[in-house]
Amino acid sequence: MRAVVCAAIVLAIAPFGLPLFAMTLLTEALILGLLAMSLDLMVGYTRLISFGHAAAYGLGAYTSGYLLLHTSLPLPFAVLAASALAGAVAIGVAWVCTLATGISFSMLTLAFAQLLYAVAFKWTSVTGASDGLAGIPRRAGPFGITMFQTKDGYYYLVLFCLLGAYAFCRSLVRSPFGAVLRGIRENEAKTLSLGYNTRLYKIAVVAVSFALGGLAGALYSPFAGFANTDLLFWLFSGQVLIMVIVGGQGTLHGPILGAAFFMLLEHVLSLYTESWALFFGLIFIGFVMFAPEGIWGLLTRRVRA
Amino acid sequence: MDLLPFLLTQCLNALSQAALLFFLGVGLTLIFGIMRIVNFAHGTFYMLGAFIGYSSARVTGSFWAGLVIGPLIAGAIGAAFEMGLLRRLYRRDASAFLMVTFGLTLVLGEIIRLIWGVDALQLEVPEVFSGIVFLFDEPFPTYRLFLAGAGVVVAVGIWQFLERTRLGLLIRATSQNAEMVHALGVDVNLVRTAIFGIGCGLAALGGVLAAPLVTASLGMAGNAIIDAFVIVIIGGMGSFLGSLLAAVLVAFVQVFGTYYFPDFALAAMYMLMLLVLVIRPGGLLGKEA
Repeated sequence: MRAVVCAAIVLAIAPFGLPLFAMTLLTEALILGLLAMSLDLMVGYTRLISFGHAAAYGLGAYTSGYLLLHTSLPLPFAVLAASALAGAVAIGVAWVCTLATGISFSMLTLAFAQLLYAVAFKWTSVTGASDGLAGIPRRAGPFGITMFQTKDGYYYLVLFCLLGAYAFCRSLVRSPFGAVLRGIRENEAKTLSLGYNTRLYKIAVVAVSFALGGLAGALYSPFAGFANTDLLFWLFSGQVLIMVIVGGQGTLHGPILGAAFFMLLEHVLSLYTESWALFFGLIFIGFVMFAPEGIWGLLTRRVRA
Repeated sequence: MDLLPFLLTQCLNALSQAALLFFLGVGLTLIFGIMRIVNFAHGTFYMLGAFIGYSSARVTGSFWAGLVIGPLIAGAIGAAFEMGLLRRLYRRDASAFLMVTFGLTLVLGEIIRLIWGVDALQLEVPEVFSGIVFLFDEPFPTYRLFLAGAGVVVAVGIWQFLERTRLGLLIRATSQNAEMVHALGVDVNLVRTAIFGIGCGLAALGGVLAAPLVTASLGMAGNAIIDAFVIVIIGGMGSFLGSLLAAVLVAFVQVFGTYYFPDFALAAMYMLMLLVLVIRPGGLLGKEA
């Protein structure tokens, strides 16, 4: 807990010490961290391996982008509306996907994400097809708040969302609800026979996870100024899963670290080589083979030893 | 255009498409049946086959050489990967395989980009099949007929291989009870290596055969892996017959979907898969949900 507070304070004063380009990287890392953390609820706590989490991100990004471009909704409301939509869609998605378990579940989530990808490609009037949505404004907030228009102000909005979501997830996984999720992870049949309707719990956790993932996406499109089909692509879903695993699944803060590590590595590697994906793949394989507990696991093992 | 010739050419089109999908799906489903693992790199082996096929055809001047060399090299790489990495993971849960093979997708994809570059490469259709035939006065490319034929030959070949050979017997036995096979003195690891290599080789075979139609390009892997998964899920994981059935079904949906509902063709395949899963969560011929 103390570490989390320290991290929050460091992040809060970061804009005073870091140059502008570093702030851009950091903001994006926090947004991806929020996305990875939301996936951790499914992967790390419930053992629902989703290969389609890009769907949540893309849904949020397109929705907030569309709302900011075509309505006069203030930015925070557009972001919240997009998050709510992602959560609502997830209920339907989860209802179908939880018909299957294990690997079939993973593949179904992948299929749903691809379906969304196909829709984004074809529904030109709303999504702009392969061009995507461009020129998404960071509109001034309600009550004349203009701080979201600046880079630092937007960073604080992202940080606020991440910390809020973290506090929410933390209390969620420590609640009786979270205990049932862990029960599903360890032994679903047993949890079912204890009288818990595991399918309802799974649908609920997917909805929460998508709402938070949608929140991340909704924050991304006004930050980047655009939303395109890359955000819905299966490769991106895989990358988010990598962030969760590399960071340390089932810990909430691990995946945030994983996302930051991912961003940093991509940035550093792409300075030296065009083939950063090659090294990235190798590092990832190394983690799965030799350190399945992730960065966070490695760190805490070192501390305890 | 008359209805009958139109239907005939579209059906043949769909069957040639089904052959390509079958090559993709059957390897994945065999690997799953034996090893209980999902090979995320399957689409990348398909792509690798297309690129190696292209290069060997360039060097030897013969499409057929490429058709042999591509699957052989891709199969060997697959087998080596199984021996080097996957073998260490059998005690871990299934998600570890999914992630390691995803890592392999990144690595192999990047290596292919470094060797062959980013441009799409056109593999020429072999001379014998470069023409067109007329069916009820409708022109139809001979190569597509050849594809449909090749699909039938390979399907029968795999079926006979599984039913009549000793390795086929071991493969079927291992998929039912690996420990028992091991206890009977068979090196199960060798069977696994063999099936992983064969599966990757079959995907590569599909890649070489598809290359004249779609060109060898870096985008191949992504589409292929999705198609392969859809087929395996619709057919039922681990079911050979299921993958055949699903390949034909998906091909017909793709071909006729593209013709009648061009805007929804991309989505049609996923709708089909969702429909199958809602009715039969384990797939058409799958045993487990």
